[in-house]
Amino acid sequence: MRTKLALLVATALTISIPAFTAGTAQAQSVPAGYDPAYAKIIEAANQEGALSIYSATDAAAVSELLKGFEALYPKIKLEYADQNSTEMYNRFISEAAANTGTTDLMWSSAMDLQMKLVNDGYAQSYSSPESKSIPDWANYKNEAFGTTAEPIVFAYNKRVVPAADVPKTHADLAKLLAEKPDAYKGKVTSYDPERSGVGFLYITQDVQANKNTWDLVKAMGQTGVKLYTSSGAMIERLTSGEHTIGYNMIGSYVFERQHKDPESLGVVLPSDYTIVMSRIAFIPKGAKHPNAAKLFLDYLLSKQGQQAMQARYMGSIRTDLASANPTAGVPESTLRPIHVGPELLTYLDQVKRLKFLKDWQKSLQGK
Amino acid sequence: MNRATRIAVIVAMAIAVLAPIGLVVYQSFLDGPFFQPKISFTLDAYEFVLDDEDFFDALYNSAVIALGMTLIAVPVGALLAFLMTRTDLPGRRWIEPVILVPMFVSSVVLAFGFVVSLGPAGFVTLWFKGVFGFVPWYLYSKTTLIVIAGLTHVPHVFLYTSSALRSLGSDVEEAARMTGAGPLRTALTVSLPMVMPNILYAAVLVFFLGFELFGLPLVLGDPEGILVLATYLYKLTNKLGTPSYQLMAVVVVAIICIALPLVALQRFLLRAANRYVSVKGKAAAQKPVSIGVWRWPAAAMIAAWLLFTVVVPISGLVLRAFVSSWGEGVNLLDVLTLAHFRELMEFPNLTRGIVNTLLIASVGGALSVGVYTMLNLAAHRWQSGWTKLMDYLVLLPRAMPGLVAGLAIFWVFLFTPFLSPLRQTMIAIWVAYTLVWLAYGMRLVSGALLQIGPELEEAGRIVGASPGRVSRDLTIPLVKVGLFSSWLLIFVTFMREYSTGVYLLAPGTEVIGSLLVSLWGTGAVDLVTALSTVNIAMIGGGLLLMSLFGKRSHG
Repeated sequence: MRTKLALLVATALTISIPAFTAGTAQAQSVPAGYDPAYAKIIEAANQEGALSIYSATDAAAVSELLKGFEALYPKIKLEYADQNSTEMYNRFISEAAANTGTTDLMWSSAMDLQMKLVNDGYAQSYSSPESKSIPDWANYKNEAFGTTAEPIVFAYNKRVVPAADVPKTHADLAKLLAEKPDAYKGKVTSYDPERSGVGFLYITQDVQANKNTWDLVKAMGQTGVKLYTSSGAMIERLTSGEHTIGYNMIGSYVFERQHKDPESLGVVLPSDYTIVMSRIAFIPKGAKHPNAAKLFLDYLLSKQGQQAMQARYMGSIRTDLASANPTAGVPESTLRPIHVGPELLTYLDQVKRLKFLKDWQKSLQGK
Repeated sequence: MNRATRIAVIVAMAIAVLAPIGLVVYQSFLDGPFFQPKISFTLDAYEFVLDDEDFFDALYNSAVIALGMTLIAVPVGALLAFLMTRTDLPGRRWIEPVILVPMFVSSVVLAFGFVVSLGPAGFVTLWFKGVFGFVPWYLYSKTTLIVIAGLTHVPHVFLYTSSALRSLGSDVEEAARMTGAGPLRTALTVSLPMVMPNILYAAVLVFFLGFELFGLPLVLGDPEGILVLATYLYKLTNKLGTPSYQLMAVVVVAIICIALPLVALQRFLLRAANRYVSVKGKAAAQKPVSIGVWRWPAAAMIAAWLLFTVVVPISGLVLRAFVSSWGEGVNLLDVLTLAHFRELMEFPNLTRGIVNTLLIASVGGALSVGVYTMLNLAAHRWQSGWTKLMDYLVLLPRAMPGLVAGLAIFWVFLFTPFLSPLRQTMIAIWVAYTLVWLAYGMRLVSGALLQIGPELEEAGRIVGASPGRVSRDLTIPLVKVGLFSSWLLIFVTFMREYSTGVYLLAPGTEVIGSLLVSLWGTGAVDLVTALSTVNIAMIGGGLLLMSLFGKRSHG
């Protein structure tokens, strides 16, 4: 009996000791599939001991994501500051100019502003071990990374809009508004591209994807479309029935709300084409904790990180998780991801931008 | 205070005010961010803005709204102050804290409360439609905006006026009553004229606040695209794609150009201020005016005002916090939920935000009142170019919309070497708040100071007290009530301040107001309303304590 027990203990020790020592030697274990040399980054990050993130995604929506990272790397103190994308941009360029060191990771849905910073040379290049799992359009020179795939959708109030009216394509929507101008008078809502940067981005993408966009704008103008600067304000008014159809809404916010209130809100991924936007992340050159930032970026793109975001309706960029995305049933050919690249800078050119806004105004007024 | 101290205090204030303002004015003449290496002087930004139809549109709207809200807020606020402080209106002590509620709630949230109640699909609207078959109002018009802005600014006028009325002896009113004047006549021809300087201060400030208005037009102007100067900044920023500081700076310069003549006007109006000295050497006991049957119309007026500015929006907001959906076709009983509050618990910054907000409002507010009192004493009973300069300086920080002010103060902290370590601390936020609300606090304290008869201080000096001693042992004790209500006002103002702190917000220094703004931006309306409800409950508790405490100290 006694020998048996001793044997058991000995066996247990011989099995567990190597496993135990291996664990500490590789310090919080290099993620599966990564180069063992990654341990050095982890070690350096632990030395840095802190990580500051500026983000346009609110902390409540990513609390699970952040907790996941903290569990993986408990020695790194995470500071997550969420703010609107313009404030982020202002704060970042000011801090960079003051030379006091910048945040360690910039993560924002304002794709054009992020690309501008990258283009102006503020980003450092990092070849993430996860980049092989994400599509080419989401990686710009290993400097800027698209981290989500979020469809831009139509949303509508299920209680008020009859099923037969629900538009399936952009053309459907234009037709509906032309045929039933009275029923939809003041009932359609969208971003104001003159006051909202993301709204501007989506409508310019529309114009590239669809030559009939201006007709749709005209139809919306004729029904007295109500234009907003915040998606929260629009979704709220859609669920209350104040407005009934929302155009160019950010899918993740609509799905999140639909989950809480399935009776009110319906979502359509337009079947002619669906724009897909992405939250862009980059590591600034002036980052004080660049190694910690690398860990976070990798984690953000990893299966675990992406699943945490998927749980909050931010679709995954990873090809191996695409089946769980809101776009899963949609044919690949109709998806129009907004490429992470210098094309995003087109409309930061003042002349082109003002010209586009003028065209928008004209169409809206039916000219 | 002796002359050297006075000048030192004023110079210190001038530096604090002019650093961020100067930065912004300087920025308006540049062709890029001031901190970039290759920039040159140009008037392009002025040309761009003055060429922009939207700018004039916004300017016009701001002017109309400012004027309209002043015309509403001042008479209602002054009358309310008279009723609450000088008459025997029943239940005054319980109504008074409630009057302040519109000031406590961040205006973005308050405006949203109006949307839930009175918007096209709001619950009051749907009820009204169900009963009468039509809806006579439209929430998103300019007129509605003016009415709401006016009525929600009543507490400002109320606080200024009531603090002055409180330190007024009631002998003059009694005299008026004895010669047969009714209570309204007494109010309009005796009591209110006595505190006219305070009312005028309040009027000019409310008018000016009209130009700085942001939260209400942001939410209520959104559907119709009604722009005011502060929301025009959004359009301006977006016009070029990237934030263009020089353009924003031009808007600030425009608001400064509006502010300066207002200060001149204020000075002109106040030249006769000493006509109204009311606390004199002889103590006068206060005795409330009996208003008899007038109490019913008076009570009805207060009730109507409270119903519209407090009950309607707050109930909309609180209701929204407990439902998952509202509006047409929704039976509210089916959608009741506590989920938003549960979600709130997962929000890690929340507790920090609450503690920080309480801290900045109470301790920070008290410190700010201290600063404002110091500044006031430096100018008190001193006719000099220095004090004239000061009058102009104090209004300047308010010329910057909160967001721009926050940005400018952020820059000052960022680019001033010895200040930069403080940037991510509560100190930076406190400095920003104190500066932004300088005009406000200064006027509150000076309103109280103006009522002290100079003979009291002269008497102090004659018996040999130093200027410091006179301030400490005479002037300050005499204005104690005034200082307390100043602190109350500053407390509520800091409590709900939201845009100034946005740039100074760092992990660890969150305040509720800024959290609400960032949540509102991402569309987390559930959390915004739940957090606001918690905030209102906190404030309600605070008010209750305060009124109990007030009762003891009065009684």
